[in-house]
Amino acid sequence: MDWEHLDLNPRIIAAVTKANCRSAKDILCVSGPDLQRLTHLSKSDVQRLHCAVAAAVRKSPAVTALQLIKGECPALEAGYKLSLVCPVLDRLMRGGLPLRGITELAGESAAGKTQFGLQLCLSVQYPRENGGLSSGAVYICTEDSFPIKRLRQLITQQPRLRPDLPSSLINSIRFSDNIYIEHTADLESLQACVSQRVPVLLKRGLVRLVVVDSVAALFRSEFQADEAIKRSRHLLTFSSALHRLSHCYGAPVLCVNQVTDVVEGPNPGRCDYGLVESKVLPALGIAWANQVMVRLMLRRLEGCVESDERSSAVRKLEVVFAPHLPRADCLCGVWEEGVRGIPDDA
Amino acid sequence: MQRTVPSLPLAPSVKVRLLHAGFHLATDLTDMCPLQLCKAAAISHEEAVEVLQMLRCDTQPHQEKAATEGITALDLLHKEEAQGSIVTFSSRLDDVLGGGVPVGKTTEICGAPGIGKTQLCMQLAVDVQIPVCFGGLGGKALYIDTEGSFVVQRVADMAEAAVKHCSLLAEDTEQKQALEELTVEKVLSSFFLVRCHDYVELLAEVYLLPDFLAEHPEVRLVIIDSIAFPFRHDFENLSQRTRLLNGLAQQLIRIATQHSVAVVLSNHMTTRLLNGQSKLVPSLGESWGHTATQRLILHWEGSKRLASLYKSPSQMEATIQYQITVQGFRDAQDEPMPTVESSAVSSQTGNSSKRPRREDQS
Repeated sequence: MDWEHLDLNPRIIAAVTKANCRSAKDILCVSGPDLQRLTHLSKSDVQRLHCAVAAAVRKSPAVTALQLIKGECPALEAGYKLSLVCPVLDRLMRGGLPLRGITELAGESAAGKTQFGLQLCLSVQYPRENGGLSSGAVYICTEDSFPIKRLRQLITQQPRLRPDLPSSLINSIRFSDNIYIEHTADLESLQACVSQRVPVLLKRGLVRLVVVDSVAALFRSEFQADEAIKRSRHLLTFSSALHRLSHCYGAPVLCVNQVTDVVEGPNPGRCDYGLVESKVLPALGIAWANQVMVRLMLRRLEGCVESDERSSAVRKLEVVFAPHLPRADCLCGVWEEGVRGIPDDA
Repeated sequence: MQRTVPSLPLAPSVKVRLLHAGFHLATDLTDMCPLQLCKAAAISHEEAVEVLQMLRCDTQPHQEKAATEGITALDLLHKEEAQGSIVTFSSRLDDVLGGGVPVGKTTEICGAPGIGKTQLCMQLAVDVQIPVCFGGLGGKALYIDTEGSFVVQRVADMAEAAVKHCSLLAEDTEQKQALEELTVEKVLSSFFLVRCHDYVELLAEVYLLPDFLAEHPEVRLVIIDSIAFPFRHDFENLSQRTRLLNGLAQQLIRIATQHSVAVVLSNHMTTRLLNGQSKLVPSLGESWGHTATQRLILHWEGSKRLASLYKSPSQMEATIQYQITVQGFRDAQDEPMPTVESSAVSSQTGNSSKRPRREDQS
């Protein structure tokens, strides 16, 4: 940090330089009395120093909620979301995926989690007026190989999913060119991917959506049962990296998660989020849950739904928690062209 | 009692010089003029001026205040009552907290993800703005968001519900007049938001808080949602974390008392193994638990949301049930016939205990 730019007496700046403080962190992380000892300054000088450094660190002054809601601070509140394409699902999510923060989608195998991920990878490429962010997506696979055939099918079926859009618009987007696929088979390569390759893509504006399918696979397989502390430390590093990227670039992050069976019997250490009748809970425990902003759960139900004489297994998408959403759910089905919610009256 | 030079708030180097020159008591210095002092103690003129200024404005009032203006417990009680508290819109929680979240104190809200910590924080930030004639404080709120989970639409929902609630209660002309000014826009414009991306920014923000509060003296509530998030990663050295947290806590307590604001901190829960049994406990460790004056733990029991007062110097430990509705944080309606009117009336009776008190003070 360049001390000369601070609004301070040269005497104070000289003392700071002499005390070998290099960054704002060095000053802010030291208490007043400690700093007095370190720099041989008086109490009021140290106070002035603290305030001046703090003012230099602060990125933006306080804004009011009114400014936010009017869209005067796009860096904090974009005022739009990434659409899930289907009006029923968008209504449940109050417009779609929030641009900042981690959205988790948990569900059993074959619930349709990957389908959501793929659909968002395509939806993000549309212009903003059509619910997208006019940018690409990065898809990080940790479980299976990327379902490229299904992606092809979804791309060819786009006109069917979005009959409201002119076909010239749909044809003008080169969907598969804008999806960057990363395969990471171990934790180390996942961390490297999130800390090195994904930031480059985001910085260049090539992508504005990060899908991790799934977070659970590696964290569940690479640690023994007694390595819980080590696991949660790795999880926090990983989630804070995702968090930083999402907030820095306004890019939604979708993390697909597995579920874990609920062991019967009272367990004071279990947090069931009020899901009493559920036999399964999202995996990775509370350390991960604390990092998630929106938690969704997808369940496969008994029975089928019909649409245009085609049938699909019924799924239920449930909002477990989100700061801006009530706990609610809706039914949906997976068809050739993608995931669609089923309106209540149908 | 005589104050000694080493006890004065001065730079150590200056103190050493003063002691070397034979100044041992504060009274030795008071009769000096700056030029004399700088020669006698071999310190710079600037430092000499500073020493004398400090002595004049700092030590004398201190000693005299202690001697003549001792505060009695009765004064403290009056002061505390005058500061009031912020209603939560859940009359049961208000009862448990003794009228709401107290101003001039720190309150910590702990809970598992999704239980409603952020909801309660947002609700309080809206409630602090309820006009005085409705039993509120008519203040403003500062919301320090460290998690990025602040969603402005949600605050707009709650503001709308709170305004509507007040309009149902308005009876006399004073209230109707206050109501005219109380709009959703007004509520949102008195809601300040700061976003901190890491702990260094949070520390910086807390250093700047006294200035902010001096600039906006109407602010009665400072919220940090959450204190845990920035301190739970990037720390290899846990003793440094404890030191920083303790320093932060001291600053917040000082701010709460000096500027008479309520400080609300939200905190995560974490799993701890005790005798082979895992248990959910508030995060940030044992020493952090001493920080807040009041500690409220939100937790699930089956599909019910419960709030337990875990630590409080003045109130009994108690547990109540609440719910999160579209309007915000509310009492759970376990009665068979929940209606809008009944909830309005119950909050009114919850407030009425506070209103007469405010009136006979003014």
